[in-house]
Amino acid sequence: MRKLLGHLLWAAVSMTAAFALAGIALNRGEPVNSVWLVVAAVCTYLVGFRFYARFIGARVMGLNNDRATPAERLRNGHDFEPTNKWILFGHHFAAIAGPGPLVGPVLAAQFGYLPGTLWIIIGAVLGGCVQDFMILFASMRRDGKSLGQMAREEIGKVGGVVALVTVMCIMIILLAVIALVFVNALKGSPWGTFTIACTMPIAVFMGLYLRYWRPGKVLEVSLLGFILVVLAIIGGQWVSQSPTLAPLFTLSGPALAVAVIIYGFFASALPVWLLLAPRDYLSTFVKLGVVFLLAIGILLVRPQLQLPALTRFADGTGPIFAGKIFPFCFITIACGAISGFHSLISSGTTPKMIAREWHAWPVGYGAMALESFVAIMAMIAACSLQPGVYFAVNSPAGIVGQSPQSATATISAWGYPVTPLDMEELARQVGEQTLFFRTGGAPSLALGMAHIFASSAGRGLLGFWYHFAIMFEALFILTIVDAGTRVGRFMLQDLLGHVWKPMGRTSWMPSVILTSAGIVLAWGYFLYQGVLDPLGGINSLWPLFGIANQLLAAVALCLATTILVKMHGARYMWITCLPLVWLIAATFTAGYQKIFSPEPRIGFLSQAAELEAAMRAGSVSNLAETSRLIFNARLDAVVCGLFLILVTAILADSMRVWYGILTGRREARSLEAPFVMTQLKAEEI
Amino acid sequence: MTLVRTCWRMLLTLLKELADENAYQRHLAAHGVPHSAEQWRKFSDERLLGRFVRPRCC
Repeated sequence: MRKLLGHLLWAAVSMTAAFALAGIALNRGEPVNSVWLVVAAVCTYLVGFRFYARFIGARVMGLNNDRATPAERLRNGHDFEPTNKWILFGHHFAAIAGPGPLVGPVLAAQFGYLPGTLWIIIGAVLGGCVQDFMILFASMRRDGKSLGQMAREEIGKVGGVVALVTVMCIMIILLAVIALVFVNALKGSPWGTFTIACTMPIAVFMGLYLRYWRPGKVLEVSLLGFILVVLAIIGGQWVSQSPTLAPLFTLSGPALAVAVIIYGFFASALPVWLLLAPRDYLSTFVKLGVVFLLAIGILLVRPQLQLPALTRFADGTGPIFAGKIFPFCFITIACGAISGFHSLISSGTTPKMIAREWHAWPVGYGAMALESFVAIMAMIAACSLQPGVYFAVNSPAGIVGQSPQSATATISAWGYPVTPLDMEELARQVGEQTLFFRTGGAPSLALGMAHIFASSAGRGLLGFWYHFAIMFEALFILTIVDAGTRVGRFMLQDLLGHVWKPMGRTSWMPSVILTSAGIVLAWGYFLYQGVLDPLGGINSLWPLFGIANQLLAAVALCLATTILVKMHGARYMWITCLPLVWLIAATFTAGYQKIFSPEPRIGFLSQAAELEAAMRAGSVSNLAETSRLIFNARLDAVVCGLFLILVTAILADSMRVWYGILTGRREARSLEAPFVMTQLKAEEI
Repeated sequence: MTLVRTCWRMLLTLLKELADENAYQRHLAAHGVPHSAEQWRKFSDERLLGRFVRPRCC
């Protein structure tokens, strides 16, 4: 009887998922309530988790709770420690959730809510969750080894080296693009800039408090830090209204870019406990809290989606970034659907903390499903804005015109009515001087979140909630910028240490300063280029980041396929080959178009050629700036080409290994750690 | 009521895990030493050194 009820329940969940997906996909004309998206997503994740992931865990991976995990065998109280599965789930989710699942869907909303939503749900269930689960499994069976180590051992030396170089390049582009989102969110905003400036002394205070005054009291100091940050948000409103202080905190894009670059350098070179660690703790708690609050807010408010299912920009002429739905929707939304960066986390801390093999099921597959749900919430927040407002905030001046009048006229002519007065009133409500041309996704996401929070907790607080959301996004981004710069510094020191030994010493100050400066300048260059880009920078840099991230996912899926081929021959290859083929198709098409498309807004080379022709024709006023733009477009083309070459190398190497094993010319040697019976008792976890 | 208590305990454990407070308790137990400012600094330095050499997710 219980079994029958279970079957009926799952049949109902599956039917609901299908009905809700069909509802959002086929509905045209009438406004759709966000609850449809929530129901479609949650039911699809549940079905994917219960049936597909369980099938993979049982039949393909052969998960076995009797087998001792690295956490038990190599237990050391630090990295290797058997941990309760729900605690580890939270830990893993906190590690994989970054600004990507929030910003990507907001940008992709220019196509309408439908393409992005379907990609987030289907991409996660068949691709992203599978990738995270497979890599976590592979690392767990190999003593918690990293992606690079596994790629080197399972595929070959080329695979290992390519994985390392790819990670390094992606880090640089990632840091540049998220720093650009940060700069665009704060430029010309004294309220936001003051709040974020305050988080630096607050972090230093927290660091000193934790180090000298109340050692070990991390939760206590994080709570204190949170209260201080909220006070800084309230103080920010006062600063923005002060005729003396407001100009001091009203910074231009280039000035903010320089400030972030200097900050990145100091954050990388200063002791970790002083700035990075306290900010990291605070950011983690704020992140989890806000995601939880947003979910509650959406359920309480149930906003109507104002953007249509498909906008006219499906044809590739979008103002936020140029390019058609295929391939650009699939590289714009990376985190939330499938993200290569997750494979670094799934082969990092998490496999060293899994107590039982079956815990990889909720942790690997389930945490990614939750992150995908965060992306759905971001999509809802963006699409609940009036389309005219959404495009006015996200479109660069280079596309819609320099003045509010010309921008609103252009956007209204697209069929999304908005007036300068609407925008002025909205800016006044949230305490900003203007909301025009705030590209990057963060301000429009903050607007959407503020509307949801304000509707559920007092409409008069729209300004507070907007800046709370901006603070949340900026804190999030700065944590990745400072930690990422430091990680990049270590990678560079490791690399240079092979050339000259002292450069590899992480405590040798000249090496610390030189390598920190090297990494900061590398991402800072791309950031500055983005800030000065007349098309807003996001048009060039976000696709580059998306391509890089998805190519890293391709590397992870190549590794996962190699492991499956070694375990089962060709039988279950389709599980990882399905998302791999899709990713290769989408990223290689996007990469090719970004380099060679004859449309100057898409192709880097045609953009350079167009500028060069304008220079030759004498129709350019600033020759030096145009020369720099030409150089940047060519550099972006080279970087994009480099990513494609690197991944082609690892794909070719993997296919060589698969072919060898499937034709019997190569031994399918398993590199799993030998079976050891678990001694871990249930009460220990 | 038991469910609420269990959820609250779970949440608190998660927060302590994220805050490294649980890991610090394990460190003290493993080394058989009492809590002190010096022990915390030793633990924290080792822990943070490991944490900030790994790439962060986007």
